[in-house]
Amino acid sequence: MFGIKKEEREADTYLKLSGKVILLYLAIVLFCILVIAPLVIVFSSSLRHVANQSSPLLLFREFTVESYITAFKNMNYPMELLNSLITTGGSVLVVVVIATMAAYPIGRIKSKLARFLYVFFISGLVIPSQMVIVPVAQTFSRLRIPNTRFTPMLMFITCSLPFSVFLFTGFMKGIPVEIEEAAYIDGSSIFRRYSVIVFPLLKPAIISTVITQGLWIWNDYFYPMVFISKKAQYSLPVGMLQFLGDKENPAQWNVLFAACVLCALPLIIIFLLLQKQFVNGIAAGAVKG
Amino acid sequence: MKKSKNISLVFNNKMYLFLIPSMLFFLILWVYPVLQLFYYSFTNFNGINYNYDFVGLKNYVKIFENGTLVNSVGNTLIYTVIVVVFSNVLGLAVAMALNAKIFLKGFFRTCAYFPALFSAIVVGFIWSYVYMPGSGMIANLIEVFGGQGSAFNPLGNFHTALFAIAIVEIWKSFGTTMIIYLAGLQTVDESLLEAGRIDGCSEWQVMRFIKLPLISSTVTINVILNVIAGLKAFDYSFIMTNGGPGKSTKTLMFQIYEIAFTDQKMGRASAFSVVSFIVIIAITAIMLFVMNKREVEL
Amino acid sequence: MKKKQLVSALCATVLSASLLFGCGSANSNPADASAADSAEAAAVTQEDKAEVEMEAAAASYDHEAIENAGDITITMMVSGTAAENDFETEILPELVHEKWPNLTLEVTKLPDDNYYTSLKTKLASGECPDIILTQPMYAGQNSCYALAEAGYLTPLNDMDFVAKMPDLSAVTYDGQLVSATNSVSILGTYYNKDIFEKAGITAVPASWDEFIEDCEKIKAAGYTPIVMGDKDQYVLQFGLYQIAANEIYPNNDKYDEQLRTGETSFTDAGTWDTVLEMYNQLYENGYIDASQSLGYGASQAITDFVDGKAAMTFDGSFNAAAILAEGEGGAFERGYFPIPAKDGNTHTATCLSAGYSIYSGSEYIDECKEVIDYWFDGESDVWNAYVDTGRFIVTYGNGSDNIPNADLFAPFISLLNENKGYHWCNQAWPAGTETTMEELFSEMIGGQGTTVEDITLGMQDKFEDLLED
Repeated sequence: MFGIKKEEREADTYLKLSGKVILLYLAIVLFCILVIAPLVIVFSSSLRHVANQSSPLLLFREFTVESYITAFKNMNYPMELLNSLITTGGSVLVVVVIATMAAYPIGRIKSKLARFLYVFFISGLVIPSQMVIVPVAQTFSRLRIPNTRFTPMLMFITCSLPFSVFLFTGFMKGIPVEIEEAAYIDGSSIFRRYSVIVFPLLKPAIISTVITQGLWIWNDYFYPMVFISKKAQYSLPVGMLQFLGDKENPAQWNVLFAACVLCALPLIIIFLLLQKQFVNGIAAGAVKG
Repeated sequence: MKKSKNISLVFNNKMYLFLIPSMLFFLILWVYPVLQLFYYSFTNFNGINYNYDFVGLKNYVKIFENGTLVNSVGNTLIYTVIVVVFSNVLGLAVAMALNAKIFLKGFFRTCAYFPALFSAIVVGFIWSYVYMPGSGMIANLIEVFGGQGSAFNPLGNFHTALFAIAIVEIWKSFGTTMIIYLAGLQTVDESLLEAGRIDGCSEWQVMRFIKLPLISSTVTINVILNVIAGLKAFDYSFIMTNGGPGKSTKTLMFQIYEIAFTDQKMGRASAFSVVSFIVIIAITAIMLFVMNKREVEL
Repeated sequence: MKKKQLVSALCATVLSASLLFGCGSANSNPADASAADSAEAAAVTQEDKAEVEMEAAAASYDHEAIENAGDITITMMVSGTAAENDFETEILPELVHEKWPNLTLEVTKLPDDNYYTSLKTKLASGECPDIILTQPMYAGQNSCYALAEAGYLTPLNDMDFVAKMPDLSAVTYDGQLVSATNSVSILGTYYNKDIFEKAGITAVPASWDEFIEDCEKIKAAGYTPIVMGDKDQYVLQFGLYQIAANEIYPNNDKYDEQLRTGETSFTDAGTWDTVLEMYNQLYENGYIDASQSLGYGASQAITDFVDGKAAMTFDGSFNAAAILAEGEGGAFERGYFPIPAKDGNTHTATCLSAGYSIYSGSEYIDECKEVIDYWFDGESDVWNAYVDTGRFIVTYGNGSDNIPNADLFAPFISLLNENKGYHWCNQAWPAGTETTMEELFSEMIGGQGTTVEDITLGMQDKFEDLLED
């Protein structure tokens, strides 16, 4: 938070143009062009007619939403968008609640057990989902959990726990214990202390969790692909799999690129609107955690 | 003070009840399946047929006998080193540039971070186009500048394919790295740098001996996050190259996936998983240890 | 349209001559089928066949299951890339719903690798769709034999379509028919007739030497002789299996069975070493440019062919629709021939197509059978729409005597009628053997110093390794 204010204050005192500074600008501009060039081409192609097969390098010669309409229909976009929103929103909500709860004792109690639990959760970070997918599926079978839209959410929640617990525990240490001690003396129960004092104070970490975990959950195709059987429950990235055969077929590029933009669009909008919270959320997670 | 906390009344053991929901998720859907992997690693389970036998350590012996482990570990390490080094060097360099008082820095920051918003599958699509020989972006650009576009074929060459997919990973991940560095740099007290300059340090010395040590914990977290991501690499081998050409882009995770699903040797894949699990933990732990030590020294 | 279909459908034994053109008579009277079969081989096949017929006669399923059910949803999962107006995901559910308004067919189509992963996970979680796509014998990760052995597939012996198919041994496990299929798939060489003409080639090559000469002529005329998308390594099978059908099985049609008993080996002289050397010749002579093909995707290779940028490409009948599409190259005429044999005695690599199996845990087994029988009846709207896709070479019913693209497939059908067809090799191998072959072959053409001996040795090692346990 502090960083941003500082940045704003400095806004009117830019570096004076000297040879070095011009070189710096040049380097930055060049670098940014390199980074976003593929995206610009993708965006420009997505605005062309479906059948336009001229080189995608001819930027912005056409402006039509035809490719978008085709992609929109092929993907059944409103449905997939809604599914993505439900899945991501639901998972993130649960993660925030149960991870803050888990971090509370881990961050507050000073014992070997708490220390062990901390490492125990973090060790989950290093296990990739491809490795455990078959045993996980068997577990679902034993627990008689059917494949519904909630099944991938269970996995999203589980996989988000290590990082979230790590983050919240880190933040918890920065919250003075004195407030809670005072509340204890006033007779507050543990639950009340958690919900009224600790949870609100964790807000920066919560934003950070929502952003970092929401981002990967939104973009993940693996769990929904293997645990969803009904097309009506597909999320956006799973819908994108349908386009896999088109990736090397220039005749399909305009529609494919429109689909790519549509898939990322909600995140792009959120990012552009909430840029500061976004950037601070990502940074806060890593720096404080 | 410290002692009183060990037997704290405020923070008593009743608090552990708060762990129940997350523990349920974690134990049932993460720890138990991992333990199952250990169990399967001693069987000849094929992933579909539940009439399997115990085969002792055979799966472990096998993966060390044939070259698959060496090949995939090698590929993964190369990939990880490239990703870690370039993500961090680029991320730090750009962060430093953007930390200076320059015009439009918010815009530049947005540009640099943008790729991180895209799903791996979309990134795979976009870069398949970028790299495509003949009609891809780079091939076309080469032709615009009068070169031989058809000769550009990074994914089709044994020596370049792994680097090519590592570049994709860097493209997607470096924005996050940069933002974390930016935040780290903003915690650096400007007056310390000024003091250094007054003492006659060059800009390089200011950076090396003042800035870098001050953000060493940020370096640690970035490196560790990138190392873990690199060691778990799977997406771009899966979406863009399918492990090829030959075996040149088969990473550890891709290899495990292939043994489990193509060769239908779940038992051996489990043994492979157990070994790589240990390798990943060991590497991460050593990195953490070394970097924490360096942090102190710096 | 990819690996699944290739890794797909194969028949273990030589395809019966009756399969394609003889089928009219074989169909009209199921008893004729066994007569036609007798020409063909393996005692095992005969036994399987007999059992299938016996059980089919013994009992039938409830043909009114859907009619008597309330509103039900049947799920189905197949692999491939959905095309516009896709048969499996759009037309089929629509037509089935028209026939039975109380039935909803929910079809999911996933790209091959994702399909395999999903299938395994869904099996492990006991949530498998009611109908799944499976491949004959041991082919691929959805091989019907492996799934049947694990008890996941419902026996289909009592279904009506069975009587129409002369030989289903490649989808019959332990006497039980486990996959419903009604068509064959061919591997061959698509060629651009315009380029052939411009290069001065008047007839399709009749022998391997002629084939090489033709490639040379095309190259001399300034065209790319063959385009392949070797980045998708499975396409290597398209050429290799054609050559194997010519050079290995005519000398020993039990070669693959004997691999399992150890009587033969991939390292035997005159078998795979010959095949691999022949195919490698195409790369060494620059007819296929490895430095390009290794970075080319399968669909990109098809696009190049369609755009008229190359004279030939090896591909399957299942990709016919894509290959025949009009591209930048205009509406040039296209032909299809099998890679000719060294001695001119050419065989074709042809086999049963991938089929549909019913999950044994399904709640709606009889309902699924009803749907598939309706679809497979040879005359329904579903059948006609299915045949119209042009991707399936059906062996009975409407369209079997005038299949779309009949001209294209004619050279193959005449070979089949002469009994000169062999299965696709990987059908008889445990899944994974072909992956090793592809990897090592890629290394060889990619200049990694891998030799033909390394490949055959690697294949043999992998084969033995996979068979163990």
